[in-house]
Amino acid sequence: MLIFQLLALAGLAAGLFGIYLRYAETKRRALPIDKSPVKGNIPHGIAYAFTTGMMPWAKESTRIHLIAYLRGIGFHIGIFAAIGTVILSPLRGFLPPLLSSTLFWVLILGALLGAAGGVMRLAEHNLRGLSLPDDHFAVWLTTLFIAVTGLGLVFEAFVVPMYIVSAVTFAYIPLGKIRHCLYFFFSRTFFGKFFGRRAVFPHPEPLK
Amino acid sequence: MTETIELALKTLEAQLNQPLETALEACARCGICAEACHYYRAEPKVEHIPAYRAEQLRNVYRYEHDFISRLFPVWTRAKKLDETTLANLTEIAFSQCTLCRRCTVNCPLGVDTPLMMRAIRAMATAGGTAPEILVMLADAAIEKGNDPSFYKEMFLEQIADMEKQLRDITGDENATIPVEKQGAKILYVPLAGAHTILPPAVVFNAAKEDWTLSIFEASNYGVFLADVNRAKQVAKRIVDEANRLGVEEIVISECGHAYSCYRWDVPNWFAGQFDFKVRSLIEVLAGYISDGKIKVDPTGIPGSVTYHDSCNLARNGGLLEEPRYVLKSIVRDFREMTPNKAEALCCGGGGGIVALAEYAERRIAAGKPKADQIKSTGARTVVAACENCRLQIGDLNEHYNLNIHVTALTDLVVQAMRLPKPLPGMEAEHLFEGEQVEAPR
Repeated sequence: MLIFQLLALAGLAAGLFGIYLRYAETKRRALPIDKSPVKGNIPHGIAYAFTTGMMPWAKESTRIHLIAYLRGIGFHIGIFAAIGTVILSPLRGFLPPLLSSTLFWVLILGALLGAAGGVMRLAEHNLRGLSLPDDHFAVWLTTLFIAVTGLGLVFEAFVVPMYIVSAVTFAYIPLGKIRHCLYFFFSRTFFGKFFGRRAVFPHPEPLK
Repeated sequence: MTETIELALKTLEAQLNQPLETALEACARCGICAEACHYYRAEPKVEHIPAYRAEQLRNVYRYEHDFISRLFPVWTRAKKLDETTLANLTEIAFSQCTLCRRCTVNCPLGVDTPLMMRAIRAMATAGGTAPEILVMLADAAIEKGNDPSFYKEMFLEQIADMEKQLRDITGDENATIPVEKQGAKILYVPLAGAHTILPPAVVFNAAKEDWTLSIFEASNYGVFLADVNRAKQVAKRIVDEANRLGVEEIVISECGHAYSCYRWDVPNWFAGQFDFKVRSLIEVLAGYISDGKIKVDPTGIPGSVTYHDSCNLARNGGLLEEPRYVLKSIVRDFREMTPNKAEALCCGGGGGIVALAEYAERRIAAGKPKADQIKSTGARTVVAACENCRLQIGDLNEHYNLNIHVTALTDLVVQAMRLPKPLPGMEAEHLFEGEQVEAPR
């Protein structure tokens, strides 16, 4: 078992190192300093970008595609729960039963939502047209990761596959589409800075 | 590799800063941005999804910057830039994106697709594939800045004629249109044409403002080309003029891209040499009304009026409430479009496309969602505080039989000032006490 745990750990280390290299590469690039006078409030803009601006009702697109957006949110909750579960897995036998069963159902639900996303990418015309082989691979790999982690939490037979799939998933993070997890933070920060400076978000009060 | 491709790639590399790399890397291709784009709304197809358009640049970027993509291009559709690809990218960036940023606002990750479209425009301009007319217009403006004497005399003659009209309209024999007035507080920068000079002149005179008129026009075609060098040269004319006259403030005519350029870009291009406050004429109007510097009749505009948010002024400029404050001060029946403000639909006339005759059909087709939106308000007057938006909505009016009157905000304010005579072309709207309000449609 230890060897598989070490394998997962090696995958995690490789993934983190790869993400660090990506981070360093991006940070190495110039960051334009905006000298135009601020109209709004930049910190408020950034806070909006990461909080209320992410709410399903905040954007027309997420209001239109509410189910798809919530599916994505559920899938991503599943991913983070799976990462946490793998990290906690050496303590598997000591986890409180309520936590174990909650995690199990969160992971199973996350995997189902991931699979739904994978099917949508194949079935829906626009998504199929947009998707790269990398996208299909990433969504199914991540779905498998969540599913196997959930099953590994409950069934001994899935523990080794959990570590193997985890190792592959972690190592793949910086190599393909999954690395958008890093750029999410850059992107929302730039979004908040841009629209916060210009007093677009958060929405200004009407003039009286 | 040809020189064109070499220049285009060099330009991409030169632009590759943190925000651009983020935009190129962050997209998850969820496709949720589709309906945010007016091109997609008008004609729903994969090619009109903002993420798809951005992918065309990402394919090139991946080939240059991602080793997995270099090894297995099919895995990420990575593509080496060639003449055909550059032509395709150029077509996308100049004719299928108005840089409105509605997709960015609607993206869960906030991916800045217009930033990528600008990067393509810059590549195309450097490689010589950008629309020639935009290059010519930008170069003509630069030339004008180099030697304004050629047309200045004619311009001053026109202003003298306009001054007569101004006195006639206001009934004020002392009303003036000062040009190159040393030490004036405000330098007002119009667009080409009397329609952006006379109405503001009426307002400035009524407010007893210390102002002067710029001899240059505010529009900057270098911005549409995403060519910072050209854009800076065009802007420099006004920066130099403001410095020469010693003004405190630059006020930009009702123009989306010009406001965006002078308010948000020029302070970066001329850092250290640019200490002027920049405001849009819309902000000035709101200030005059709120301070009581101009008197307007709160029921001065009796008909139904709606307001179109120019993307450069509203979503990209933060002028969301000011125009509404002005309109609510003068309009009896103000009707909002849905959606509006930061979520407003682009009219399809931005990004310089109005100047590109070869894309007129595409532009009118992409304006259909805006036409529908206008129609559903039932308003008879559409106010647009941007020249390109007004031109586009005018064309939409004709094409989709909207039966509307398209006007600038300042023109309505002047109308609500109840002056002795109307502005030229506004005779029909020059309503007096007791005149009937239009019947509802």
